Amino acid sequence: MADIGYIAQFLALVVSVYAAGAFILGWRGKHPALLSSARNGLLASCGLLTISVASLVYALVSHDFQIEYVYQYTSRDLALTYRLSALWAGNDGSLLFWAWLLSVLGAAVILQKREVGKELVPYAAAIIGVTQTFFILLLLTIANPFQKLPQVPADGMGLNPMLENPGMFFHPPLLLAGYVGFTVPFAFAMAALLSRRLGDAWLIVVRRWTLLAWLSLGLGNLLGAWWAYVELGWGGYWAWDPVENAGLMPWLVATAFLHSIMMQRRRGILKVWNMVLIILTFVLAILGTFLTRSGVLASVHTFAESPLLGASFLAFIGITIVSSLGLLYYRSEELKSEAEMESLVSRESTFLLNNLLLVGAAFTIFLGTFFPVISEAVRGVKVSVGPPFYNQVNVPIFLAIILLAGICTLIGWRRASLRNLVQHFLWPLATALILGIVLFILGIRQWLALVALPLCGFVLFTILYEWWRGTRARHRMRSENYLKAFWGLIMTNRPRYGGYIVHIGVIIMAVGIIGSSLYGVEKEATLTQGESMSIEDYTLTYENMDFYETESKAVVTATLLVSNQGKLLGRLLPEKYFHRSFEQPVTEVAIRSTLVEDLYVILVGWDEDGTTAFKVLVNPLVNWIWIGGVVLVLGGLIAFWPEWRRQPVPQSAGKRGE
Amino acid sequence: MLRKKKFLVGGLVVFLALGYLIYTGFQSSATYYYEVSELLTRGDSVYGENVRVRGEVAPGSVERESQGTVLRFIITDMEGEQSLPVVYQGVVPDTFKVGVEVVVEGQLDSDGVFQAHTLMPKCPSRYVPQE
Repeated sequence: MADIGYIAQFLALVVSVYAAGAFILGWRGKHPALLSSARNGLLASCGLLTISVASLVYALVSHDFQIEYVYQYTSRDLALTYRLSALWAGNDGSLLFWAWLLSVLGAAVILQKREVGKELVPYAAAIIGVTQTFFILLLLTIANPFQKLPQVPADGMGLNPMLENPGMFFHPPLLLAGYVGFTVPFAFAMAALLSRRLGDAWLIVVRRWTLLAWLSLGLGNLLGAWWAYVELGWGGYWAWDPVENAGLMPWLVATAFLHSIMMQRRRGILKVWNMVLIILTFVLAILGTFLTRSGVLASVHTFAESPLLGASFLAFIGITIVSSLGLLYYRSEELKSEAEMESLVSRESTFLLNNLLLVGAAFTIFLGTFFPVISEAVRGVKVSVGPPFYNQVNVPIFLAIILLAGICTLIGWRRASLRNLVQHFLWPLATALILGIVLFILGIRQWLALVALPLCGFVLFTILYEWWRGTRARHRMRSENYLKAFWGLIMTNRPRYGGYIVHIGVIIMAVGIIGSSLYGVEKEATLTQGESMSIEDYTLTYENMDFYETESKAVVTATLLVSNQGKLLGRLLPEKYFHRSFEQPVTEVAIRSTLVEDLYVILVGWDEDGTTAFKVLVNPLVNWIWIGGVVLVLGGLIAFWPEWRRQPVPQSAGKRGE
Repeated sequence: MLRKKKFLVGGLVVFLALGYLIYTGFQSSATYYYEVSELLTRGDSVYGENVRVRGEVAPGSVERESQGTVLRFIITDMEGEQSLPVVYQGVVPDTFKVGVEVVVEGQLDSDGVFQAHTLMPKCPSRYVPQE
């Protein structure tokens, strides 16, 4: 198996190099035969990498411990599902998975039937081929997943028990798919520059590819947060860890890109800026892959350090930046704007500002993440920043971004009149103000909550107001009933209304983040059996502790009776278990989750005499984050769904805000 | 031209605001990040200052008290030459164990004991069992 996998990797390298070269030569010399052979080459590399992945999966499943990777990440008692997921548990396997995903996307790019942007495909395919070549080179040299051990061990070392969680099936592959996915829009951008076809074609092609990668990365990040919350047992969902930041940065820049390509298509402006954004997104995606592997930054996620691998990634990133920006500079004459920004008070300028803020947020996160490295280079001492830095800097930025999302919904293109503004914003603003007053009366006194929550309300009302006007117009014009009119409204312009649904998702998430970060309460308590503690309105009574053993682990369970203001709610069972093959304990938190708040109990430790230490948290509105995430993904899918009508929906630029 | 100027001024305002946010953010949260030996050579100058220190948990040094909520251990340099006793109070992360690389944040007290309020073990995804 190891040999088949390795040979397939090697052949994939040969074919990828050939395909990339043939695409470039074929297009230059207009040789259709060479082009079609290049296409077959890229498809073949996808087939070969599929064979590699399949042989590694087979080896993992069949306990082929002669392969070092299988030995390191699985053991005989590991369940089948986790043997499968071990494919991306380690460095070498996840790189193979990366390369394979890219080859699948490459094949999809080639096979996709398209009416727009056909001329770009050979160039884009060449770029994909080159990227793929880099990853296969790593797989063949410093990160070979098929490395054999001198003798066959009887059993493997096993998977880290913390990774034995359903999150393991979705979080890493979605994150990786997001990173990989940005290669395609980057490749098309480069194709547009190389072929000097700088019109709308590449934008039309990349919108949905970018959206797909963006959704995948966003969902990956969100699942990571959820996993951390339910599994890692520290009571939070986001710690501004370097690797988390690495997943957030390309997502933010891609968000900016998704917005600013609308401006280019509609008004023919920001052409260079869009190129810069997609280059930046791709570089940050590669950087994310690099950060988890290089050991440059201390993080809970990093794989074992490998300087050579880190150096290769840095070299690849460097070459990408220099060559793509060089090419952009070379073509900058052809990327002149077709129009000028007309007024500061217009939808364009809200888009522009939103772009600056999103990139600004990504930049501050970048600065914070790399500050130890930067300060060491500049001053010779390492200085690091913690979560307070990120929160302090990003809270105002994100509030401004949310505000802009509201303004941009109702403001007109080109130039908005004062009358237009008053007319459209009166109701949403009034409603937001009332919401603020109601919150104040209800006892909310933290100024941040009093600013942020009405702001979220304002954005929600602008969107609902927009939907209401659209629905009413359809209802009047087509005499459809309201429900049908609303459905029709959304379905006729899915990119636009999908976008609004994404905004609503973001707002719901924002409410959850505001609630849980401003109003979370935590308490540590040491209890003997029968003793109680209280937190907020909850009373927890420690009943008893149980020990039991299963085939693979020893489990300690504490039972707590929970009541709220005298009303019995049930029992919570926080656990700690000890895996047979590992010394490390695994903490299983117990969560009682409602829409209003989560009661979160951690079993900290215990003494021989039965005194037990708990940490209890009340986290308000955490469920809103997950619900907002689901809404965001739904909106993204609606925006992504192909239009079944061929002709583009006529969009009368000036009338959007009327 | 006037229009262009307006946009330039607007952009400048955004950049200045970002710069200000970053500056104040650093003021309030920048923390020195030392290796064990670096911290020890600084000596008196770092007493009472909030710093981060990286080291490896020394074998045989881990003691737990009070139902496991107080943790005493020694961290050493990667070369294992310099060592620093640490006291940490709070929930011990699952990945903490002997031999693992940790980053602790807290203060060095005048007895030369590091009082940590944050403990971050670096968790290798691969498991290397103790020999």
